[in-house]
Parts: sequence; structure tokens; C-alpha cells
Amino acid sequence: MSAEDVYNRISVLRAERGISRKDLATALGVHYQTIGYLERGEYSPSLFLAMRIAEYFEVPLEVVFSLKPFPRLGSGQAG
Amino acid sequence: MSTWKESWRQTRVEVLQRDYLPGWYATRGRRRLIASAVVLSLALLWADVAVSWAGAPSDGADLSDFALLALTLIIYLPAVSLLNIATRGVVELSERDLDERQVGERLRTVAIAHRLTTGILAAVFVMALALGVALGREYSIPGDAFFALALALALTHFVLPLVVSGWRLPDPPGDED
Repeated sequence: MSAEDVYNRISVLRAERGISRKDLATALGVHYQTIGYLERGEYSPSLFLAMRIAEYFEVPLEVVFSLKPFPRLGSGQAG
Repeated sequence: MSTWKESWRQTRVEVLQRDYLPGWYATRGRRRLIASAVVLSLALLWADVAVSWAGAPSDGADLSDFALLALTLIIYLPAVSLLNIATRGVVELSERDLDERQVGERLRTVAIAHRLTTGILAAVFVMALALGVALGREYSIPGDAFFALALALALTHFVLPLVVSGWRLPDPPGDED
């Protein structure tokens, strides 16, 4: 189940919007543990699921997923 | 007819998402212990094949046969139930009730189990060949042993994907809410 270096900000986006894993899982039609595995980087979503996640949060795909680690908030780097 | 089928399907999905005795499969170590218990029950079944073969026909063999089968069931049924719950029905449920991650996991699990079953079948074939050579073509398998062998093969094939799934499963993310 290795994600092979695909980083994501799903947990950050959820926290900003006050959305639980179960809420997100229900909205996406996946098991709530899948959201957990996604956030832990132990599973890489398909393109379809990745785009649905981005669409759900109403942000571009690259805001949610990246092949490089996202910079820490407040570090001054673009992200 | 389709209503009760749909209702049964829904019930299975719901039951496998609930936690029964969650502490028993909370960690990888414990899940592997349960998977090992299933393997032990299968080993008892294969031992029964040997007992049926060597001892048939006799009352002693029948008694051992019964005892081994009873012990197998006592271990097998609760262990398999717990593993199904721990894996959230990845092997048990139909594909339309699984998400993409679970489907991927099922495919990997079935591929590994297929390789293991192939090895077991090869071993049985080699043993049958060796016995045929050693005992001559006139030798025939006792009926009890043949039944026990068929049961052992069928159950091994049936449950191996679940054992592999339970063995491989990483600790699920904690419930945060």
C-alpha cells in the first residue's frame, strides 16, 4: 500500500473546513479508513479519486497533492 | 427475490463494518496471531487427512477423525469471523461494496494466496506420485482419507486469501472523531 512519495494536505483541508474523515469518506463514497490511509501517505489515490477530492474541497489538484513535501505553514515558501 | 438479496448484501456490509471484540484484532501482532490460528486449524485438517489415511478403517481412526474435525471447527469459526471483521470484509464482500483501495488490496491478496495454493497443490501432486510409485498402481486411497483430503484442499483454497489479508493488514488509522 505504499504511496511512493505522493504528499497530500487532506488533513489540513479537513481541519480548515471542520470536516471529519467519515464525512469526507461518505461524500467521496469510500471507506473512512481509506481517508486515514491517504492522509498517512500509505495509499495513493487513483486520478479519479484525487480529482474528486480536489473537487470536494473546491481547490486545484496541486493544492491537495504533490510529488514534493509541502512546505510548513509560515515557512515563507510558496505552496 | 432481488429485494431479499439486496437486503442480505446490505446487512453483510453493515455487520462487517462494526467492531466486535476490537481489542482482539487492534494491532498487527494480534491480527497475525488470529491468522496463525486459522492456519493452525487448517494444519489440523491436513493432519486429519494423514490420520484418516493411515488409520482407516478403524474405530480409533474415526474417533481421531471426529476429534480433529471438532477441534478444527472450534478454532476456525471464531478466528475466521474475527479476521473478516478486522479486514472489513475485503475478501468476503463483493467488489461493488469495496472502494478502490480495498479492491486493490483484494487483488494483491488473492494473487499471493493463489501462489500459495499452487504450491500446496504441487506438494499434494508430488506426494500422490511418490505414493503411487512406492505402493504400486493397485493401491487405492481409503474413502475417508479422500473425503478429508477434498475438504482440506477446499477449505485451504477458500480461506487462504483471508489469512493473507489479515497477515498483511497494517494498523488502521485511529478514529479521530
